Amino acid sequence: MSKEDIIRDAIESMHKGNEKLAIEAMERAIAEGLDPVEILADGFSAGIREVGDLFSRGTVFLPQLMMTADVMQKVSALVDKEIASRGLTAEKKGVMVIATVQADVHDIGKGIVASLVKTQGIEVIDLGRDVPVETIIERAEEHKADIIGTSALLTTTLNEQKKLEEMLKSEGLRDKYKTMVGGAPATQRWADRIGADAYAEDAGEAVVKALALLGH
Amino acid sequence: MTKKYLTRYGDNYVGELTEAEIRQDIEDGTLDAADRGQIPAMSQDEMDYLYEIITSPQKIVSVEPGKEVVVSFDAGTLKLPTRNGIPMDRLQAVITQERALASDSTELCHVDYSYKPIKPIISEERQAMEQIQLMTTIPVLYGAMPNLGLYTKPDGPCDNWAELLPAGKITEAMEAQEEAVEHAIKDIVFVASSMIESGADGINLDTVGASGDADVKASLEAVRILSKKYPTTGFEVGMAGEFNLGMHGELTFDGEVLAGMYPHKQVLMAQQAGVGIFGMAVNTNSSQSLAWNLARVVTFAKETAKVATIPVHANVGMGVGGIPLSIIPAADAVSRVDKALVEIAGLDGL
Repeated sequence: MSKEDIIRDAIESMHKGNEKLAIEAMERAIAEGLDPVEILADGFSAGIREVGDLFSRGTVFLPQLMMTADVMQKVSALVDKEIASRGLTAEKKGVMVIATVQADVHDIGKGIVASLVKTQGIEVIDLGRDVPVETIIERAEEHKADIIGTSALLTTTLNEQKKLEEMLKSEGLRDKYKTMVGGAPATQRWADRIGADAYAEDAGEAVVKALALLGH
Repeated sequence: MTKKYLTRYGDNYVGELTEAEIRQDIEDGTLDAADRGQIPAMSQDEMDYLYEIITSPQKIVSVEPGKEVVVSFDAGTLKLPTRNGIPMDRLQAVITQERALASDSTELCHVDYSYKPIKPIISEERQAMEQIQLMTTIPVLYGAMPNLGLYTKPDGPCDNWAELLPAGKITEAMEAQEEAVEHAIKDIVFVASSMIESGADGINLDTVGASGDADVKASLEAVRILSKKYPTTGFEVGMAGEFNLGMHGELTFDGEVLAGMYPHKQVLMAQQAGVGIFGMAVNTNSSQSLAWNLARVVTFAKETAKVATIPVHANVGMGVGGIPLSIIPAADAVSRVDKALVEIAGLDGL
């Protein structure tokens, strides 16, 4: 079976949330001496991003998306095991602390972002919802995070994202982290205005932006 | 130098765009809606008229005489006393809407604005409705949200599907939603029945679908029961978003899967349930221009009005219907949205 066939199966397995098909595709890749990391990136990761896009259009539903994310994690574990067996260490691309800001209880979107980002080899610390800026910074320091992601769904809570930028600056921590903002009222203009490093419109874009911030 | 027109973006940012840019945004917006909803895009004539509306030199635009439509409200008695901070009680708010603002109808509601927390204070709500009905002539509906999230632990009896799903407990998450649907139906029917018996002219279920397809299922099932129980009462259902978010994914109403339905399909389910006014909602994209957002909304609205046999009112508040996400929606944007939805999409109300 060619590399292209395996990648096609990997993408299909993500669309179907089919664990058996996914594991078989990765096992075939390994058996044929292909680079499992390349298959993970070009097949499985690409596939799950497509599923995320379909979710945002109402074509795929949350249980399917979560099922796909679960299959992706199992494939990633298989890749980690294979890399370890070759005497190498699986690359953790970074750590992201993510939260819905204080006074905002909307966390469905933030949870989806966390689930998808996690599938890309990024460790995600999900602090939940209604989280004060002070706690976000405290936990970012504790987990030695690379990225701090915040979500705000209300115009009244959007300002917490600005508060985070200001507090990071006042505490001399701004250069330690990359910051990402999201949520319905957030825009690229808002990110530029407050000095955030990235804005993502949806979960699919959040994955791409998070990887870019980490240099991938 | 190319002439530029003052316009807004979905985040209320004021910017200037050229004719070509506005026309391109209109085309992109309508094509996006057509693609997502699998519905026809706007015709060239409609796009040209929308361009005229958007670039009108007037700050506020309006419909032609004879094309006026009625308005209905969600969060009715929250608007003046709570959101605007005007010290008045709910009775005064309704009277002000009737006599000073000339509203066609309004809604009595409680600050908690969900059916579940109304249960223990139902006597107070009934008294307020009776008093209002004695002093007003406009139709006064009673309204609240189905808000299925309130049925999850620790606030309610059901496991939290928003926590179960990311943990991979798909079956448990689906079962929890099905359980919440049953609780919500009982609560909506109880509260709505009490308010109808206290004189409410109609019942509004607002922000339906905010907790996903289970929220929609509970609302439609409740309206079906209520519309049979009170056949002369009107029921309005206002949606939370442009498609039913599939938190469950397999829930059906009359054999149709609810998840993923866009407004032109949502309205069919609503009218089958016994809904009298369908409040369609299309989300505003905060990054895109008014032209892009409004073209999208008009495209969805036109198809929805075309297939509906009941009146369709568009949700035109902050962040929906093309209205920018700002606490005080800008009058220039609001009036353009209203005119386009009435004159191009042919909606019955707002």
